Amino acid sequence: MSSLDDFPADDGAAVGGVHIKYFVHCPRQLWLYARGYRPEHRSDRVAFGQVVADTTFTRRRDIDLGEAKIDWVTTGAVVHETKSSRAPSPAHAAQVRHYCLLLERRGISVRGGTVHYPLIRRTTDVPWDDDARMAAEDAETQARNVIAATEPPARLARTGCRGCSYLDYCWGD
Amino acid sequence: MPAAGRTYWLTEPCRIRREDNSIRVERPDGSPVRIPITDIRDLIAFDHVDVNTSAMSMLSRNGVTLHILDHYGNHAGHFSPAESVASAAVIRRQVEITADPDRRTAIGRALVLAAAENLRWALDTDLLDPALQSLRTDLPDCKDDDAIMGQEGNFRRTAWAVLDTQLPPWLRLNGRTRRPPTNAGNAFISYLNALVYARVLTALRSTPLHPAIGFLHSDTDRRRNTLALDLAEPFKPLFAERLLKRTAHQRALKPTDFETDVGRASLSTNGRKKIAALVREELSTTVHHRTLKRKVSYEELIHLEALKLVRLCLEDTPYKPFHPWW
Repeated sequence: MSSLDDFPADDGAAVGGVHIKYFVHCPRQLWLYARGYRPEHRSDRVAFGQVVADTTFTRRRDIDLGEAKIDWVTTGAVVHETKSSRAPSPAHAAQVRHYCLLLERRGISVRGGTVHYPLIRRTTDVPWDDDARMAAEDAETQARNVIAATEPPARLARTGCRGCSYLDYCWGD
Repeated sequence: MPAAGRTYWLTEPCRIRREDNSIRVERPDGSPVRIPITDIRDLIAFDHVDVNTSAMSMLSRNGVTLHILDHYGNHAGHFSPAESVASAAVIRRQVEITADPDRRTAIGRALVLAAAENLRWALDTDLLDPALQSLRTDLPDCKDDDAIMGQEGNFRRTAWAVLDTQLPPWLRLNGRTRRPPTNAGNAFISYLNALVYARVLTALRSTPLHPAIGFLHSDTDRRRNTLALDLAEPFKPLFAERLLKRTAHQRALKPTDFETDVGRASLSTNGRKKIAALVREELSTTVHHRTLKRKVSYEELIHLEALKLVRLCLEDTPYKPFHPWW
């Protein structure tokens, strides 16, 4: 119901999919998110993403892992993720890889992942192999380091911030 | 990013019910109005409103605040969602900063000075320059909240006297009075101040800040949300005094829009509606923001101001109160 449902509770050291997505997009966004500043509910873009998630693949069910919420998983353990974006981004793949990692730690043999872009009717496959596992573990460690830092990371170049719900906070002075 | 949802101003008596995922507003005349819940950020009730619990629980679930103004336009209270966007890290820092007398008074002084400068800007006259100058020299010596508020009071008295010279006789303040306001001008100012307070409170509610932990007003001040009172200060001239001046010049209000009694005055139903329209228009006025590089509405300015305080709490960025740059 609430538009914040896909932002899981921040209990201790748990790193969820949103954390990884934010880390790849902008470390500063992750730092702020982890400290409880979450302006997503004011963002039209996030509201739009929520509507896209609610109206596509409606027969599939969410998998709630506690720290992360996977859009859905199909047999043979393929992780699926829906994005309202029109352009595939490294952050989306990193998020899916993190879900694969979390599932594998629960003893499930994961075959891979798929990111769905219903607006452009495309999918992107995310392979799951040793390289991907390394990348996922690496991203997780780095994300933890960013969260643990006392100082916030610097702002990125302004163009990268377009559409970010943290834009008003970072640049509004 | 513009805020999702908008503010609805209920200027007539009405009944609010839930209908599926919409709010149904039943007015005495005509068919009910249905508003999707996702389109509402908050509701402001100017008049009698009946609300039932299923409507309230839906408002709460969707993070909608309902503000209630009483007959004199004082903020009578608000209904706010149970779940807030509070963050322990931010609140802890907010408490630390406000507990330190030096930092607390420094921000308090900055707020008072900003409010005074904005008032000077709104009245647009050099009659206020001497008062502003003495405020600038006296403020650094003020060591506690009472002294700061005292200085603010002095300046405000001068400013209201100057404002009176720009108003027609029937709208003059002749000294600020409130609870209840004694004449039309005071009723107008009180009403607008209550509205600004409600807007600031809504803005604060969408940030992790705690609205009750403030810098300037004392903690027991009218037992209200002191941070909202603080943050409203620099914005009051922008809305209250400036709009009063403008309505006087444009003759937008008439003496019949007020219900004046001996020793008390309030707005009539019609006057209330006029003011709601005025304020709504004013809040949606846009200016170009230099670092965001886009137009922002006055409403958003209040939100940006609240974000400055979040930045102060999270990153220790120095806080510079709002000053109109246009």
